[in-house]
Amino acid sequence: MLNYIWISLIAIGIFVAVGNDVRDEVQNTYRNGIPLEATFTVDRSATGQRTTWEGELVMSAGAFNEFYGIRTAASEVRQPAVISTLPSGESSIMLPIGTSTPDHWKEMAKTATSKDRLMGTVQSMQISADGRSSTVRILLEPIRFVKIKAVTQAALDYASTAVTIAIGLIGIMALWLGVMKVAEEAGLLIVVTRLLTPVTRRLFPDVPSDHPAVSAMIMNIAANMLGLSNAATPLGLKAMEELNKLNPKLGTATNAMVTFLAINTGGLILIPATAIAVRAAAGSANPGIIVGTSIFGAGCATVAGVVAAKLLQRLSYYRKELEITPSPEKEASRG
Amino acid sequence: MGDLFRALINAVAVLAIPLVLVAFLGWGIIKKVKVYEVFVEGAKDGFATAVRIIPYLVAMLCAIGIFRASGAMDLLTTVLAPITNLIGMPPETLSMALMRPLSGSGSLGIMTELMKVHGPDSFIGVLASTMYGSSETTFYVLAVYFGSVQVKNTRHAVPAGLIADLFGMLGALFICRILFGA
Repeated sequence: MLNYIWISLIAIGIFVAVGNDVRDEVQNTYRNGIPLEATFTVDRSATGQRTTWEGELVMSAGAFNEFYGIRTAASEVRQPAVISTLPSGESSIMLPIGTSTPDHWKEMAKTATSKDRLMGTVQSMQISADGRSSTVRILLEPIRFVKIKAVTQAALDYASTAVTIAIGLIGIMALWLGVMKVAEEAGLLIVVTRLLTPVTRRLFPDVPSDHPAVSAMIMNIAANMLGLSNAATPLGLKAMEELNKLNPKLGTATNAMVTFLAINTGGLILIPATAIAVRAAAGSANPGIIVGTSIFGAGCATVAGVVAAKLLQRLSYYRKELEITPSPEKEASRG
Repeated sequence: MGDLFRALINAVAVLAIPLVLVAFLGWGIIKKVKVYEVFVEGAKDGFATAVRIIPYLVAMLCAIGIFRASGAMDLLTTVLAPITNLIGMPPETLSMALMRPLSGSGSLGIMTELMKVHGPDSFIGVLASTMYGSSETTFYVLAVYFGSVQVKNTRHAVPAGLIADLFGMLGALFICRILFGA
Protein backbone atom coordinates (compact mmCIF):
# COMPACT_ATOMS: atom_id res chain seq x y z
CA MET A 1 0.00 0.00 0.00
CA LEU A 2 2.88 2.32 0.79
CA ASN A 3 4.04 1.84 -2.81
CA TYR A 4 0.78 3.21 -4.18
CA ILE A 5 0.54 6.08 -1.70
CA TRP A 6 4.13 7.05 -2.38
CA ILE A 7 3.78 7.12 -6.16
CA SER A 8 0.39 8.84 -5.85
CA LEU A 9 1.87 11.66 -3.78
CA ILE A 10 4.54 12.26 -6.42
CA ALA A 11 2.30 11.80 -9.47
CA ILE A 12 -0.59 13.88 -8.12
CA GLY A 13 1.88 16.53 -6.99
CA ILE A 14 3.47 16.88 -10.42
CA PHE A 15 0.18 16.74 -12.36
CA VAL A 16 -1.46 19.32 -10.14
CA ALA A 17 1.61 21.55 -10.37
CA VAL A 18 1.56 21.43 -14.18
CA GLY A 19 -2.20 21.98 -14.16
CA ASN A 20 -1.90 24.99 -11.88
CA ASP A 21 0.83 26.49 -14.05
CA VAL A 22 -1.23 26.01 -17.21
CA ARG A 23 -4.18 27.70 -15.49
CA ASP A 24 -1.96 30.57 -14.30
CA GLU A 25 -0.70 30.98 -17.86
CA VAL A 26 -4.21 30.98 -19.37
CA GLN A 27 -5.67 33.33 -16.78
CA ASN A 28 -2.44 35.32 -16.57
CA THR A 29 -2.65 35.20 -12.76
CA TYR A 30 0.56 37.18 -12.39
CA ARG A 31 -0.42 39.79 -15.02
CA ASN A 32 2.69 39.25 -17.11
CA GLY A 33 3.07 42.05 -19.64
CA ILE A 34 0.35 44.24 -18.14
CA PRO A 35 1.57 47.51 -16.63
CA LEU A 36 0.55 48.42 -13.08
CA GLU A 37 -0.27 51.97 -12.01
CA ALA A 38 0.61 53.11 -8.53
CA THR A 39 1.75 56.11 -6.53
CA PHE A 40 5.40 56.33 -5.63
CA THR A 41 6.20 58.46 -2.59
CA VAL A 42 9.80 59.52 -2.28
CA ASP A 43 11.56 59.17 1.08
CA ARG A 44 15.06 59.83 -0.03
CA SER A 45 15.88 61.26 -3.42
CA ALA A 46 18.82 62.67 -5.24
CA THR A 47 21.55 60.31 -4.24
CA GLY A 48 24.52 61.00 -6.45
CA GLN A 49 23.51 62.35 -9.83
CA ARG A 50 19.77 62.09 -9.14
CA THR A 51 19.59 58.60 -10.55
CA THR A 52 18.04 56.68 -7.65
CA TRP A 53 14.92 57.32 -5.64
CA GLU A 54 14.08 55.36 -2.54
CA GLY A 55 10.52 55.35 -1.33
CA GLU A 56 7.28 53.49 -1.15
CA LEU A 57 4.94 52.19 -3.78
CA VAL A 58 1.44 52.95 -2.52
CA MET A 59 -1.73 51.33 -3.80
CA SER A 60 -5.14 50.91 -2.23
CA ALA A 61 -6.08 47.35 -1.32
CA GLY A 62 -9.03 47.56 -3.70
CA ALA A 63 -6.91 48.60 -6.67
CA PHE A 64 -4.34 45.89 -5.93
CA ASN A 65 -6.99 43.19 -5.62
CA GLU A 66 -8.73 44.35 -8.76
CA PHE A 67 -5.53 44.37 -10.77
CA TYR A 68 -4.62 40.80 -9.82
CA GLY A 69 -8.20 39.54 -9.56
CA ILE A 70 -7.69 38.37 -5.97
CA ARG A 71 -9.12 39.13 -2.54
CA THR A 72 -6.10 38.61 -0.32
CA ALA A 73 -4.85 42.17 0.20
CA ALA A 74 -6.70 43.52 3.23
CA SER A 75 -4.98 46.83 3.90
CA GLU A 76 -3.38 49.52 1.77
CA VAL A 77 -0.27 48.30 0.00
CA ARG A 78 2.82 50.22 1.13
CA GLN A 79 5.72 48.46 -0.52
CA PRO A 80 9.29 49.82 -0.19
CA ALA A 81 10.70 50.47 -3.65
CA VAL A 82 13.83 51.76 -5.32
CA ILE A 83 13.68 53.38 -8.76
CA SER A 84 16.91 53.83 -10.63
CA THR A 85 17.44 55.58 -13.92
CA LEU A 86 20.06 54.24 -16.24
CA PRO A 87 22.17 56.58 -18.39
CA SER A 88 20.25 55.30 -21.42
CA GLY A 89 17.10 56.87 -19.99
CA GLU A 90 15.41 53.65 -19.02
CA SER A 91 14.23 53.35 -15.44
CA SER A 92 13.97 50.17 -13.43
CA ILE A 93 12.15 49.50 -10.19
CA MET A 94 13.19 47.11 -7.48
CA LEU A 95 10.74 45.88 -4.83
CA PRO A 96 12.57 44.22 -1.92
CA ILE A 97 10.44 41.53 -0.28
CA GLY A 98 9.78 42.32 3.36
CA THR A 99 7.13 42.12 6.04
CA SER A 100 4.98 44.81 4.39
CA THR A 101 4.99 43.07 1.02
CA PRO A 102 1.55 41.77 -0.08
CA ASP A 103 1.31 37.96 -0.06
CA HIS A 104 0.68 37.86 -3.79
CA TRP A 105 3.99 39.56 -4.48
CA LYS A 106 5.75 37.33 -1.95
CA GLU A 107 4.42 34.35 -3.87
CA MET A 108 5.63 35.83 -7.15
CA ALA A 109 9.08 36.62 -5.77
CA LYS A 110 9.64 32.96 -4.96
CA THR A 111 9.97 32.28 -8.69
CA ALA A 112 11.48 35.63 -9.69
CA THR A 113 15.05 35.98 -10.92
CA SER A 114 16.17 36.86 -7.43
CA LYS A 115 14.15 35.40 -4.56
CA ASP A 116 14.34 38.39 -2.22
CA ARG A 117 13.05 41.00 -4.66
CA LEU A 118 10.81 41.69 -7.63
CA MET A 119 12.29 43.65 -10.52
CA GLY A 120 10.45 45.69 -13.11
CA THR A 121 10.77 48.50 -15.59
CA VAL A 122 9.25 51.93 -15.19
CA GLN A 123 7.27 52.85 -18.28
CA SER A 124 6.30 56.34 -17.22
CA MET A 125 6.70 58.54 -14.20
CA GLN A 126 4.86 61.80 -13.53
CA ILE A 127 6.30 63.72 -10.63
CA SER A 128 3.84 65.83 -8.65
CA ALA A 129 4.32 69.55 -8.09
CA ASP A 130 5.98 69.22 -4.67
CA GLY A 131 8.38 66.57 -5.96
CA ARG A 132 7.48 64.20 -3.11
CA SER A 133 5.32 61.74 -5.00
CA SER A 134 4.71 60.60 -8.50
CA THR A 135 2.37 58.42 -10.49
CA VAL A 136 4.26 55.52 -12.00
CA ARG A 137 3.40 52.86 -14.55
CA ILE A 138 5.53 49.83 -13.93
CA LEU A 139 5.88 46.50 -15.68
CA LEU A 140 7.07 43.74 -13.37
CA GLU A 141 9.23 40.90 -14.60
CA PRO A 142 7.23 37.98 -16.05
CA ILE A 143 6.46 35.21 -13.55
CA ARG A 144 5.95 31.72 -14.97
CA PHE A 145 5.91 28.05 -13.90
CA VAL A 146 5.48 28.95 -10.23
CA LYS A 147 4.30 25.53 -9.06
CA ILE A 148 6.69 23.46 -11.17
CA LYS A 149 9.61 25.46 -9.84
CA ALA A 150 8.25 25.12 -6.30
CA VAL A 151 7.90 21.35 -6.73
CA THR A 152 11.47 21.03 -7.98
CA GLN A 153 12.73 23.13 -5.10
CA ALA A 154 10.69 21.14 -2.57
CA ALA A 155 12.08 17.82 -3.80
CA LEU A 156 15.65 19.08 -3.42
CA ASP A 157 15.01 20.80 -0.09
CA TYR A 158 13.26 17.84 1.48
CA ALA A 159 15.99 15.45 0.38
CA SER A 160 18.50 17.44 2.39
CA THR A 161 16.02 17.91 5.25
CA ALA A 162 15.82 14.12 5.51
CA VAL A 163 19.58 13.89 5.93
CA THR A 164 19.58 16.74 8.46
CA ILE A 165 16.94 14.95 10.54
CA ALA A 166 18.82 11.66 10.43
CA ILE A 167 22.16 13.25 11.30
CA GLY A 168 20.48 15.12 14.17
CA LEU A 169 19.36 11.78 15.55
CA ILE A 170 22.88 10.33 15.85
CA GLY A 171 23.85 11.84 19.18
CA ILE A 172 20.58 11.33 20.98
CA MET A 173 20.33 7.85 19.49
CA ALA A 174 23.77 6.94 20.85
CA LEU A 175 22.89 8.28 24.31
CA TRP A 176 19.71 6.26 24.68
CA LEU A 177 21.08 3.10 23.12
CA GLY A 178 23.96 3.29 25.60
CA VAL A 179 21.63 3.77 28.57
CA MET A 180 19.36 0.98 27.39
CA LYS A 181 22.33 -1.36 27.03
CA VAL A 182 23.35 -0.69 30.63
CA ALA A 183 19.77 -1.28 31.81
CA GLU A 184 19.65 -4.50 29.82
CA GLU A 185 22.90 -5.82 31.31
CA ALA A 186 21.72 -4.88 34.80
CA GLY A 187 18.48 -6.82 34.28
CA LEU A 188 16.42 -3.70 34.89
CA LEU A 189 14.35 -3.97 31.76
CA ILE A 190 12.83 -7.24 32.96
CA VAL A 191 11.53 -5.43 36.05
CA VAL A 192 9.94 -2.71 33.91
CA THR A 193 8.43 -5.33 31.66
CA ARG A 194 6.96 -7.54 34.36
CA LEU A 195 4.73 -4.77 35.68
CA LEU A 196 2.87 -4.40 32.40
CA THR A 197 2.89 -8.01 31.27
CA PRO A 198 -0.92 -8.41 31.33
CA VAL A 199 -1.27 -5.51 28.88
CA THR A 200 1.66 -6.27 26.63
CA ARG A 201 0.82 -9.95 26.30
CA ARG A 202 -2.55 -9.05 24.81
CA LEU A 203 -1.18 -6.31 22.55
CA PHE A 204 1.83 -8.27 21.34
CA PRO A 205 1.02 -11.98 21.63
CA ASP A 206 3.91 -12.90 19.29
CA VAL A 207 6.51 -11.29 21.55
CA PRO A 208 7.71 -13.24 24.64
CA SER A 209 6.75 -11.08 27.61
CA ASP A 210 10.31 -10.96 28.98
CA HIS A 211 11.82 -9.99 25.63
CA PRO A 212 13.85 -6.72 25.61
CA ALA A 213 11.53 -5.47 22.84
CA VAL A 214 8.70 -5.20 25.36
CA SER A 215 10.59 -2.95 27.74
CA ALA A 216 11.80 -0.73 24.90
CA MET A 217 8.24 -0.40 23.63
CA ILE A 218 6.93 0.45 27.09
CA MET A 219 9.59 3.10 27.57
CA ASN A 220 8.95 4.52 24.10
CA ILE A 221 5.23 4.83 24.78
CA ALA A 222 5.89 6.37 28.20
CA ALA A 223 8.31 8.91 26.71
CA ASN A 224 5.79 9.75 23.99
CA MET A 225 3.04 10.32 26.52
CA LEU A 226 5.26 12.66 28.49
CA GLY A 227 6.08 14.56 25.30
CA LEU A 228 9.78 13.64 25.45
CA SER A 229 10.14 13.14 21.71
CA ASN A 230 13.94 13.31 21.94
CA ALA A 231 13.95 10.20 24.08
CA ALA A 232 10.95 8.54 22.43
CA THR A 233 12.39 8.14 18.94
CA PRO A 234 15.63 6.37 20.01
CA LEU A 235 13.68 4.09 22.36
CA GLY A 236 11.17 3.36 19.59
CA LEU A 237 13.96 2.49 17.17
CA LYS A 238 15.52 0.28 19.80
CA ALA A 239 12.16 -1.46 20.15
CA MET A 240 11.95 -1.94 16.37
CA GLU A 241 15.45 -3.45 16.37
CA GLU A 242 14.47 -5.89 19.10
CA LEU A 243 11.19 -6.74 17.34
CA ASN A 244 13.16 -7.37 14.18
CA LYS A 245 15.15 -10.07 15.99
CA LEU A 246 11.87 -11.99 16.23
CA ASN A 247 11.06 -11.34 12.57
CA PRO A 248 10.90 -14.57 10.55
CA LYS A 249 11.03 -12.64 7.26
CA LEU A 250 13.44 -9.72 7.33
CA GLY A 251 12.31 -6.75 5.27
CA THR A 252 8.64 -7.40 6.01
CA ALA A 253 6.73 -5.90 8.93
CA THR A 254 5.53 -8.29 11.65
CA ASN A 255 2.16 -8.02 13.38
CA ALA A 256 3.83 -6.75 16.54
CA MET A 257 5.65 -4.01 14.59
CA VAL A 258 2.42 -2.81 12.99
CA THR A 259 0.56 -2.78 16.31
CA PHE A 260 3.42 -0.91 17.93
CA LEU A 261 3.44 1.68 15.12
CA ALA A 262 -0.34 2.04 15.32
CA ILE A 263 0.08 3.03 18.97
CA ASN A 264 2.85 5.41 17.98
CA THR A 265 0.95 7.09 15.16
CA GLY A 266 -1.99 7.54 17.51
CA GLY A 267 0.33 9.94 19.29
CA LEU A 268 -1.19 9.79 22.77
CA ILE A 269 0.39 12.64 24.68
CA LEU A 270 -0.63 13.95 28.08
CA ILE A 271 0.38 17.57 27.48
CA PRO A 272 0.35 18.67 23.82
CA ALA A 273 3.11 21.19 24.48
CA THR A 274 3.57 22.42 20.89
CA ALA A 275 -0.10 23.18 20.36
CA ILE A 276 -0.32 24.93 23.74
CA ALA A 277 2.76 27.03 22.96
CA VAL A 278 1.32 28.12 19.61
CA ARG A 279 -2.00 28.99 21.25
CA ALA A 280 -0.23 31.04 23.92
CA ALA A 281 1.80 32.84 21.26
CA ALA A 282 -1.41 33.62 19.35
CA GLY A 283 -2.76 35.36 22.46
CA SER A 284 -5.19 32.72 23.73
CA ALA A 285 -6.99 33.47 26.99
CA ASN A 286 -6.72 29.81 27.95
CA PRO A 287 -4.01 28.01 25.97
CA GLY A 288 -4.31 24.81 28.01
CA ILE A 289 -7.98 24.32 27.22
CA ILE A 290 -7.11 21.72 24.60
CA VAL A 291 -5.38 19.29 27.00
CA GLY A 292 -8.53 17.29 27.65
CA THR A 293 -9.81 17.37 24.08
CA SER A 294 -6.42 16.33 22.71
CA ILE A 295 -6.20 13.36 25.07
CA PHE A 296 -9.68 12.34 23.94
CA GLY A 297 -8.79 12.70 20.25
CA ALA A 298 -5.49 10.88 20.58
CA GLY A 299 -7.20 8.19 22.66
CA CYS A 300 -9.68 7.62 19.81
CA ALA A 301 -6.79 7.49 17.34
CA THR A 302 -4.78 5.00 19.42
CA VAL A 303 -7.69 2.66 20.10
CA ALA A 304 -8.81 2.80 16.45
CA GLY A 305 -5.24 2.17 15.27
CA VAL A 306 -4.73 -0.86 17.51
CA VAL A 307 -8.13 -2.33 16.63
CA ALA A 308 -7.46 -1.74 12.92
CA ALA A 309 -4.03 -3.35 13.17
CA LYS A 310 -5.46 -6.38 14.98
CA LEU A 311 -8.32 -6.80 12.50
CA LEU A 312 -6.27 -6.21 9.36
CA GLN A 313 -3.60 -8.72 10.38
CA ARG A 314 -6.23 -11.46 10.08
CA LEU A 315 -6.87 -10.76 6.40
CA SER A 316 -5.36 -13.52 4.31
CA TYR A 317 -3.85 -10.88 2.00
CA TYR A 318 -1.68 -9.54 4.81
CA ARG A 319 -1.10 -12.94 6.40
CA LYS A 320 0.36 -14.30 3.18
CA GLU A 321 2.93 -11.53 2.99
CA LEU A 322 4.50 -12.72 6.21
CA GLU A 323 4.89 -16.32 5.05
CA ILE A 324 8.44 -17.21 4.18
CA THR A 325 7.69 -19.55 1.26
CA PRO A 326 4.04 -19.76 0.33
CA SER A 327 3.95 -23.50 -0.32
CA PRO A 328 0.71 -25.53 -0.44
CA GLU A 329 1.89 -28.10 2.15
CA LYS A 330 2.44 -25.40 4.71
CA GLU A 331 -1.05 -24.05 4.19
CA ALA A 332 -2.44 -27.55 4.63
CA SER A 333 -0.46 -28.33 7.76
CA ARG A 334 -1.72 -25.13 9.33
CA GLY A 335 -5.26 -26.39 8.91
CA MET B 1 -8.24 19.84 38.82
CA GLY B 2 -7.10 20.46 35.26
CA ASP B 3 -4.35 22.79 36.42
CA LEU B 4 -3.15 20.30 39.03
CA PHE B 5 -3.02 17.58 36.38
CA ARG B 6 -1.02 19.81 34.06
CA ALA B 7 1.41 20.84 36.80
CA LEU B 8 1.90 17.21 37.77
CA ILE B 9 2.52 16.04 34.20
CA ASN B 10 4.90 18.92 33.57
CA ALA B 11 6.88 18.05 36.70
CA VAL B 12 7.09 14.41 35.66
CA ALA B 13 8.16 15.40 32.15
CA VAL B 14 10.95 17.62 33.49
CA LEU B 15 12.21 15.03 35.96
CA ALA B 16 11.76 11.93 33.80
CA ILE B 17 15.02 11.96 31.86
CA PRO B 18 17.42 12.77 34.74
CA LEU B 19 15.64 10.25 36.97
CA VAL B 20 15.78 7.53 34.33
CA LEU B 21 19.47 8.22 33.73
CA VAL B 22 20.31 8.07 37.44
CA ALA B 23 18.12 5.04 38.10
CA PHE B 24 19.35 2.99 35.16
CA LEU B 25 23.03 3.76 35.54
CA GLY B 26 22.81 3.52 39.35
CA TRP B 27 21.12 0.12 39.10
CA GLY B 28 23.88 -0.92 36.74
CA ILE B 29 26.52 0.01 39.33
CA ILE B 30 24.67 -1.92 42.04
CA LYS B 31 24.49 -4.94 39.75
CA LYS B 32 28.25 -4.56 39.15
CA VAL B 33 27.86 -3.78 35.45
CA LYS B 34 30.86 -2.04 33.89
CA VAL B 35 28.62 0.91 33.11
CA TYR B 36 31.02 2.98 31.03
CA GLU B 37 32.13 0.13 28.82
CA VAL B 38 28.62 -1.20 28.34
CA PHE B 39 27.28 2.29 27.62
CA VAL B 40 29.86 2.87 24.90
CA GLU B 41 29.20 -0.57 23.49
CA GLY B 42 25.51 0.20 23.15
CA ALA B 43 25.99 3.78 21.98
CA LYS B 44 28.12 2.82 19.00
CA ASP B 45 25.01 1.58 17.19
CA GLY B 46 23.58 5.10 17.24
CA PHE B 47 25.39 6.21 14.13
CA ALA B 48 24.52 3.14 12.08
CA THR B 49 20.84 3.34 13.05
CA ALA B 50 20.55 7.03 12.19
CA VAL B 51 22.30 6.61 8.85
CA ARG B 52 20.20 3.55 7.99
CA ILE B 53 17.07 5.72 8.09
CA ILE B 54 18.29 8.20 5.47
CA PRO B 55 17.10 6.48 2.24
CA TYR B 56 13.65 5.83 3.70
CA LEU B 57 13.33 9.37 4.98
CA VAL B 58 14.52 10.90 1.70
CA ALA B 59 11.97 8.86 -0.26
CA MET B 60 9.12 9.79 2.06
CA LEU B 61 9.91 13.46 2.60
CA CYS B 62 10.54 14.17 -1.11
CA ALA B 63 7.16 12.72 -2.07
CA ILE B 64 5.44 14.72 0.66
CA GLY B 65 7.37 17.85 -0.31
CA ILE B 66 6.33 17.56 -3.97
CA PHE B 67 2.73 17.01 -2.96
CA ARG B 68 2.71 20.01 -0.62
CA ALA B 69 4.43 22.40 -3.01
CA SER B 70 2.14 21.56 -5.94
CA GLY B 71 -0.97 23.03 -4.32
CA ALA B 72 -2.69 19.62 -4.52
CA MET B 73 -3.86 20.09 -0.95
CA ASP B 74 -6.19 22.94 -2.03
CA LEU B 75 -7.64 20.72 -4.72
CA LEU B 76 -8.21 17.86 -2.28
CA THR B 77 -9.83 20.24 0.20
CA THR B 78 -12.28 21.41 -2.48
CA VAL B 79 -13.11 17.85 -3.51
CA LEU B 80 -13.74 16.70 0.06
CA ALA B 81 -15.62 19.83 1.20
CA PRO B 82 -19.14 18.33 0.75
CA ILE B 83 -18.27 15.43 3.08
CA THR B 84 -16.90 17.68 5.81
CA ASN B 85 -19.94 19.95 5.58
CA LEU B 86 -22.08 16.89 6.17
CA ILE B 87 -20.38 16.06 9.49
CA GLY B 88 -20.25 19.68 10.66
CA MET B 89 -16.53 20.14 10.23
CA PRO B 90 -15.48 23.70 9.34
CA PRO B 91 -13.91 23.56 5.84
CA GLU B 92 -10.90 25.58 7.07
CA THR B 93 -9.81 22.73 9.34
CA LEU B 94 -9.96 20.13 6.57
CA SER B 95 -6.50 20.97 5.28
CA MET B 96 -5.27 20.58 8.87
CA ALA B 97 -6.78 17.09 9.08
CA LEU B 98 -5.29 16.12 5.72
CA MET B 99 -1.85 17.57 6.45
CA ARG B 100 -1.47 16.09 9.94
CA PRO B 101 -0.38 12.58 8.88
CA LEU B 102 1.87 13.92 6.12
CA SER B 103 3.95 16.66 7.64
CA GLY B 104 4.60 17.88 11.16
CA SER B 105 5.93 21.27 10.09
CA GLY B 106 3.16 21.65 7.51
CA SER B 107 0.37 21.02 10.00
CA LEU B 108 2.08 23.27 12.53
CA GLY B 109 2.04 26.03 9.91
CA ILE B 110 -1.65 25.47 9.13
CA MET B 111 -2.54 25.52 12.84
CA THR B 112 -0.64 28.78 13.37
CA GLU B 113 -2.28 30.32 10.30
CA LEU B 114 -5.79 29.29 11.36
CA MET B 115 -5.24 30.80 14.80
CA LYS B 116 -3.94 34.01 13.33
CA VAL B 117 -6.99 34.36 11.07
CA HIS B 118 -9.76 33.04 13.33
CA GLY B 119 -8.27 33.59 16.81
CA PRO B 120 -6.97 30.84 19.11
CA ASP B 121 -10.13 30.69 21.20
CA SER B 122 -12.55 30.51 18.28
CA PHE B 123 -14.12 27.15 17.50
CA ILE B 124 -11.81 26.74 14.51
CA GLY B 125 -8.76 27.65 16.60
CA VAL B 126 -9.61 25.19 19.36
CA LEU B 127 -10.47 22.45 16.87
CA ALA B 128 -7.28 22.95 14.87
CA SER B 129 -5.07 22.80 17.96
CA THR B 130 -6.94 19.76 19.27
CA MET B 131 -6.43 18.06 15.91
CA TYR B 132 -2.74 18.86 16.06
CA GLY B 133 -2.53 17.25 19.51
CA SER B 134 -4.67 14.27 18.52
CA SER B 135 -2.32 12.55 16.14
CA GLU B 136 1.23 11.98 15.07
CA THR B 137 2.91 12.49 11.71
CA THR B 138 2.08 8.98 10.53
CA PHE B 139 4.20 8.87 7.38
CA TYR B 140 7.24 10.27 9.14
CA VAL B 141 6.94 7.72 11.94
CA LEU B 142 6.50 4.90 9.41
CA ALA B 143 9.55 5.98 7.40
CA VAL B 144 11.81 6.39 10.41
CA TYR B 145 10.75 3.31 12.37
CA PHE B 146 10.59 0.90 9.46
CA GLY B 147 13.67 2.46 7.91
CA SER B 148 15.74 1.68 10.99
CA VAL B 149 15.12 -2.07 10.53
CA GLN B 150 15.15 -2.00 6.73
CA VAL B 151 11.51 -3.04 6.43
CA LYS B 152 10.28 -2.33 2.92
CA ASN B 153 7.03 -4.29 2.92
CA THR B 154 5.01 -2.46 5.58
CA ARG B 155 1.92 -4.73 5.19
CA HIS B 156 -1.09 -3.25 6.99
CA ALA B 157 0.84 -0.50 8.79
CA VAL B 158 -0.30 2.29 6.44
CA PRO B 159 -4.02 1.48 6.56
CA ALA B 160 -3.87 1.00 10.33
CA GLY B 161 -2.02 4.31 10.75
CA LEU B 162 -4.47 6.16 8.50
CA ILE B 163 -7.47 4.67 10.30
CA ALA B 164 -5.91 5.88 13.56
CA ASP B 165 -5.53 9.38 12.04
CA LEU B 166 -9.10 9.39 10.73
CA PHE B 167 -10.49 8.47 14.12
CA GLY B 168 -8.21 10.96 15.85
CA MET B 169 -9.57 13.78 13.66
CA LEU B 170 -13.19 12.62 14.05
CA GLY B 171 -12.68 12.27 17.81
CA ALA B 172 -11.26 15.79 17.99
CA LEU B 173 -14.23 17.14 16.01
CA PHE B 174 -16.72 15.24 18.17
CA ILE B 175 -15.33 16.37 21.53
CA CYS B 176 -14.85 19.99 20.40
CA ARG B 177 -18.41 20.18 19.10
CA ILE B 178 -19.75 18.84 22.39
CA LEU B 179 -17.63 21.05 24.64
CA PHE B 180 -17.29 24.25 22.62
CA GLY B 181 -20.22 24.12 20.18
CA ALA B 182 -20.01 25.00 16.53
